Amino acid sequence: MGIRIASSTKGTVEEAVHEIRGQLEGLDATMVAYFASSVHPPGSISMAMEDAFAGATVFGCSTAGEIVSGRMLTGSVVAMAFDKGTIRDVKVEVLQDLEHDSFETFKAFERHFGEKMSRMNPEKYVGIMLIDGLSRKEELLIDRMGDLTNVHFIGGSAGDDLKFAATSVYANGGSYRNAAVLALIEPAVPFACIKTQSFRSLGKTLMVTRANEATREVLEFNGRPAAAAYADALGVPVSEAPKRFMHNPVGLVIDGEPYVRSPQQINGTAMVFYCSVTKGMELTLLESTDIIADTAQALGRARNDLGGLSGLINFNCILRTMELDSRHQCATYGSLFAEVPTIGFSTYGEQFIGHINQTATMLAFR
Amino acid sequence: MAGKIREMIDSIISQRAQNNPMLAGVIKTKLVLKGIDPNKFNRHSDDDPVIIAKLETLLKDIR
Repeated sequence: MGIRIASSTKGTVEEAVHEIRGQLEGLDATMVAYFASSVHPPGSISMAMEDAFAGATVFGCSTAGEIVSGRMLTGSVVAMAFDKGTIRDVKVEVLQDLEHDSFETFKAFERHFGEKMSRMNPEKYVGIMLIDGLSRKEELLIDRMGDLTNVHFIGGSAGDDLKFAATSVYANGGSYRNAAVLALIEPAVPFACIKTQSFRSLGKTLMVTRANEATREVLEFNGRPAAAAYADALGVPVSEAPKRFMHNPVGLVIDGEPYVRSPQQINGTAMVFYCSVTKGMELTLLESTDIIADTAQALGRARNDLGGLSGLINFNCILRTMELDSRHQCATYGSLFAEVPTIGFSTYGEQFIGHINQTATMLAFR
Repeated sequence: MAGKIREMIDSIISQRAQNNPMLAGVIKTKLVLKGIDPNKFNRHSDDDPVIIAKLETLLKDIR
């Protein structure tokens, strides 16, 4: 039976969860991950999903759009259920205070699995991280977890259908804000983490010379007001620069691989980003390329490396979804996942090694 | 004084990666995302106390 998916566009929690439960009938699930539009009240959806899959470890979050094999959806609930043959063991912890060190959470994982996190084999374990997408604490958490373990945590920041009012993460029948759900998984099948973004370097460097990390604000690039330096690099007036944010973000390019930092707005002469940028970072001006072709290639590589794909969880940046939408390519993007049991959602940020933007991070199972 | 940062970076990568080149690459990436680019430091680099403090925390976590 392995991995099964379900989705529902029903308007109420009761109807949607009933439909999801029906589609997953017959699978003895050990773990159920789900992503739900913010049209569904957080407390109700979390409790209903927990009740529907008693005996399984159930967790999820709110979204800015959902993905299920072959389709991109809105206003829906999507779910993926795993049996013992695919997920040998899983432990979910809720970090309710994002200022709090994740060290204690990791102790709970260590007690459950009987191994120190610092010694865990990243080829045996993998983590999923779902975090309040309005918390601005993603870097703090993923960086700290990266200090404590070699196990990869992959995931996304919860969304709220672009209302930017409240996002929630779900576990143990509860819903949480300013919190993160961390799931440490021991798959019974081979797995891989995928990171794909569609940008090429324009060969222009913007060195961060003054920044406010806490507000994700760059005050100066190359010793000049950030907005002016960014606009000059593009050859446009500052007033035109915001129109180029989606097409021309910046990125830390590490061994040829971009880790994208997306501008959010111009604040006076400074630039605010969707993730943290620190003084001394050498950022490269990027230009968007073909999301469809690049994603297809990334999936092809994963399929070859793993020898097939039996399940995929896709954390796809909302800015990618908006770009696909503007190009009328959402249906084509959805179709890339038609042959693989897939769920996912449009995120307010993606996590893999660090916190990144305008990227899709995916957890793939053979 | 000079060269301490390079020494600390090498120690972190070696202890965390245990001769696994894939893990060594991931740890280097984590350092760059924290604002510490290993490629920018050699045995002649100045001992910046702010960076040294960050690296000391990482070394403590490994122990």
